[in-house]
Amino acid sequence: MKPILLQGHERSITQIKFNREGDLLFSSSKDPIPNVWWSINGERLGTFDGHTGAIWAIDVKWDTTVFASGSADQSLRLWDCETGKTISKLQMKASVRGISFSYSGNLIAYTTDKMMGQQSELNIIDVREPNNVDDTAIMKAQVTPTNQKALSVLWGPLDETVVTGHEDGAIIKWDIRTSKKTDVAIEHTKQINDMQLGHDGTMFITASKDSTARLWDLSTLEPLKIFKTDRPVNSAAISPLIDKHPYVVLGGGQEAMEVTTTAARVGKFDARFFHAVFEEEFARVKGHFGPINSLAFHPNGKGYASGGEDGFVRVHVFDDAYNQFRFDY
Amino acid sequence: MAKKNKPKHENEGGGEEEEPDFSDPEDYVDDITEEELLGDLLRQKPKETDGVEAVIIVDGVPQVEQDRLEKLKKVIRKIFEESGGIINDYYPTDKNGKTKGYIFLEYKDKASAEDAVKKRNNYKLDKQHTFICNLFTDFDKYNDIPEEFVPPKPQPYKDFGNLYFFLMDENCYDQFSIIYDCGTSSGSTTAIYLNSIPDPQEIQKRERWTESYVRWSPRGTFLATFHAKGIALWGGEEFKQIQKFSHPGVQFIDFSPCENYMVTFSPHIDQRNEEPHSIIIWGIRTGQKKRAFHADKPPVWPIFKWSHDDKYFGRITDELLSVYETPSFGLLDKKSIKVPGIKDFSWSPTDNIIAYWIAEDKDVPAKVTLLSIPNREEIRAKNLFNVAECQMYWQKSGDHLCVKVARYAKAKREKNEIRYAGLYYNFEIFHMREKGIPVDSLEIKEQIQSFAWEPVDNKFGIISGEPPSVTVTFFQVSKGQQPAELKKFEKRDWNNMFWSPQGQFVVLAGLRNMSGVLDFIDTKDFQIMATTEHFMATDVEWDPTGRYVATSVSWWGHKVDNAYWLWTFQGKILSRHTIEKFCQLLWRPRPLSLVTNKDEIKKAVKKYSSQFEIQDKMRLSKASREIIEKRQQQMSSFIEYRKRMTEKFNAEKSERLRLRNSQDTDTLTSNVNDFEEEIVEFLVKKEVIPIE
Repeated sequence: MKPILLQGHERSITQIKFNREGDLLFSSSKDPIPNVWWSINGERLGTFDGHTGAIWAIDVKWDTTVFASGSADQSLRLWDCETGKTISKLQMKASVRGISFSYSGNLIAYTTDKMMGQQSELNIIDVREPNNVDDTAIMKAQVTPTNQKALSVLWGPLDETVVTGHEDGAIIKWDIRTSKKTDVAIEHTKQINDMQLGHDGTMFITASKDSTARLWDLSTLEPLKIFKTDRPVNSAAISPLIDKHPYVVLGGGQEAMEVTTTAARVGKFDARFFHAVFEEEFARVKGHFGPINSLAFHPNGKGYASGGEDGFVRVHVFDDAYNQFRFDY
Repeated sequence: MAKKNKPKHENEGGGEEEEPDFSDPEDYVDDITEEELLGDLLRQKPKETDGVEAVIIVDGVPQVEQDRLEKLKKVIRKIFEESGGIINDYYPTDKNGKTKGYIFLEYKDKASAEDAVKKRNNYKLDKQHTFICNLFTDFDKYNDIPEEFVPPKPQPYKDFGNLYFFLMDENCYDQFSIIYDCGTSSGSTTAIYLNSIPDPQEIQKRERWTESYVRWSPRGTFLATFHAKGIALWGGEEFKQIQKFSHPGVQFIDFSPCENYMVTFSPHIDQRNEEPHSIIIWGIRTGQKKRAFHADKPPVWPIFKWSHDDKYFGRITDELLSVYETPSFGLLDKKSIKVPGIKDFSWSPTDNIIAYWIAEDKDVPAKVTLLSIPNREEIRAKNLFNVAECQMYWQKSGDHLCVKVARYAKAKREKNEIRYAGLYYNFEIFHMREKGIPVDSLEIKEQIQSFAWEPVDNKFGIISGEPPSVTVTFFQVSKGQQPAELKKFEKRDWNNMFWSPQGQFVVLAGLRNMSGVLDFIDTKDFQIMATTEHFMATDVEWDPTGRYVATSVSWWGHKVDNAYWLWTFQGKILSRHTIEKFCQLLWRPRPLSLVTNKDEIKKAVKKYSSQFEIQDKMRLSKASREIIEKRQQQMSSFIEYRKRMTEKFNAEKSERLRLRNSQDTDTLTSNVNDFEEEIVEFLVKKEVIPIE
């Protein structure tokens, strides 16, 4: 089916995210205004005006009441989803790179860049009172110098653990009750660009610049599967229908800075679908004319959306061929 | 005295110090030899034999009386001082003062002496006198020859196993070599694969096997690797080192067609008077240097071209065509063939015939000549007019020679360069197997991109026109007739043509900047069997049997997507292999087929093909069975893993409910009761209705 093209950003997309029900799609880009859209028809519901720098990361609370954004303007903002107004603004000393609501939505984990004498940090704050957030972190961990800066962060299933993905390819699991590292997994050889949780929080997938994506068990941090491509992978997502359609989708392409010198075909900006068990690619979706920066499965597993360096978000609904496709085994 | 033994720096003022006594004690016996005392100095002491290597003996000098000696000396000096300063001479005389007819000359150094011998040996002073020059040290050398002949010890026989092992594969799979990881600090990796079905099998892999690239010998017996110090040859079942050739800085090599000799080239600038080092010809089996040559600058490789049977090899220097013989490595009939204006030459791939062409010179037209060797008989010559450039293409079977002649309408002389205008092309086709070697001519007005003979049979193809839209034309040559046009493909984006080694099938490709389009064509009926592409492909290589084609994107030509793909001759993709920094794929050549009754095999092809089909089916089903088994196993372990996880997930349900205010959010519809209905209006259609 023809995808819906969302044109609302002036610069390249940095992250897209469905809310839990999948009726809304949030998007952020290097311009300072995150957007929210009806996923069913691509109509723009509204914008979140206030930041003064590129938005690196966004997340939305499970009940779609609060939307969070982290920006290069060195602030983290919480927004009222209904009105689009800022509820609170937290000023940082460095850009916010990764952001994630916990399962309950009571806590937010965020990572900051290493810049201007600041070390890269992982912080967890309590946001039970969104309009009166205490910005003193309940957990604070310095990521450097033992490991390079954290680019993405996600929560384990029960508000107990946080996983960070790092510039050197390392993945670290933290126990928030003790504020200690519990596991470190070094499988990727280059930086982790994205991490996404499966629908039940038992598995997660990492996308790396080393041209691979990996599927992990979250509780043990054991690598389960590897998906190989020939281009840096910027984002990867697990199908919510993993037990019926065990598929994952990978997006990326030749790096943005090199693209100007090469034809779109060389860049390979396709979304690639892999069988999660056999690690084999079985489908590609073309469309973007720059690398894909962020991917998300619709929570009902019947479609997906992609946001690219070209500034567009494309919302796809799978056709019958996807549902009927079977691997021989 | 004890007080004086204090460390010196504590002394105040040096003047009080007592002068040490150097004289020997009275009871001292000098028993140290001079060797022990100043051995290093003694070793530098001039020996009587020093300087002997700078002395030469000249025989054949006129015998003169004392009164004319001065005049003779003057003449001798004039002749011999060209090679370097003479510091001493000696003219032995008899009782009457008449010189004996031989003289000794001492040069300032060895190099000058050697140069003088080289230049002035056999120098004709006049009708009666010819100089015979020798190094003085040579006399010593020949004097020291032992009286009795001691036969050299036979070297122990080294068994390298069966060098033709690669031909004994029961499925007749071919081998190929690949190089990858080039340009990395750890050096490149070379691997040899067996092109087995369905997937190639690695049979040998070595890191840093070569320092630049590898080459197979023309019959596939050896693999040559390049090193800073020289060339190494590998072969046999396990690719053991068979021979090595020391040639520092070697850059190019060339094998003789029968694998008896190898030519190596190092861009080393030879000094005028030293032994040549640039080009060395080696015996492959013995590893011995056969002969070395100086290189002209800048050389066009290969400098030496071999006849098909390894008997002769030739090169061009200035106005000379020099043909050498093996195994003596001397000039054929001791002299080169003088051909003024010779530009290029080539050997027939099947006969001892040389084709060469001569450029135009004022009123003399250009000429293509066929010369038979060793009798130097001109068997055919053809004059050509208005020639800018010629290129010679021999058919692999030696049946035809095609000379591509670039001709001009106008030529302008500008300074030292000649500029041609209105170029057009003629193809002169020599029918080698017919009496008198008739020549057909074919004219093409367009720019020629490429020309290629079908290796066997009688077709050839020409790519002409301006890229990216070119015309490909196929012609057939037949006895006593003009070449007939068989088929023309117009407006195509091909720039290269690759014939199957067995003829009939041809791959037309748009390589490099033409983004890798590939067409597989059967020239029997000119049906395009497959139109496909290998994006950004840089190379196309047929396997030696004409069954498979490899296309590749080399890191040398394109920095991303380095891979090689294997196809059938019909253009069906077999496998794709993506390898980081992959550089080169080379098929291992096969020796000439020894099969004589090819027709019989062709007749019985049905019988054989049914056997092969059964074999193929078995292989395929085995492969797919393996895949299915592997998948089943992967799937069952995954299902098992998911089961465990789902159990765990379900066990944590109460915990989740607690965290989300008792709302069940496990599936999208699990909290239906909490849903609030909301009406959302979408703009479905926009219509503008103008009022009046």
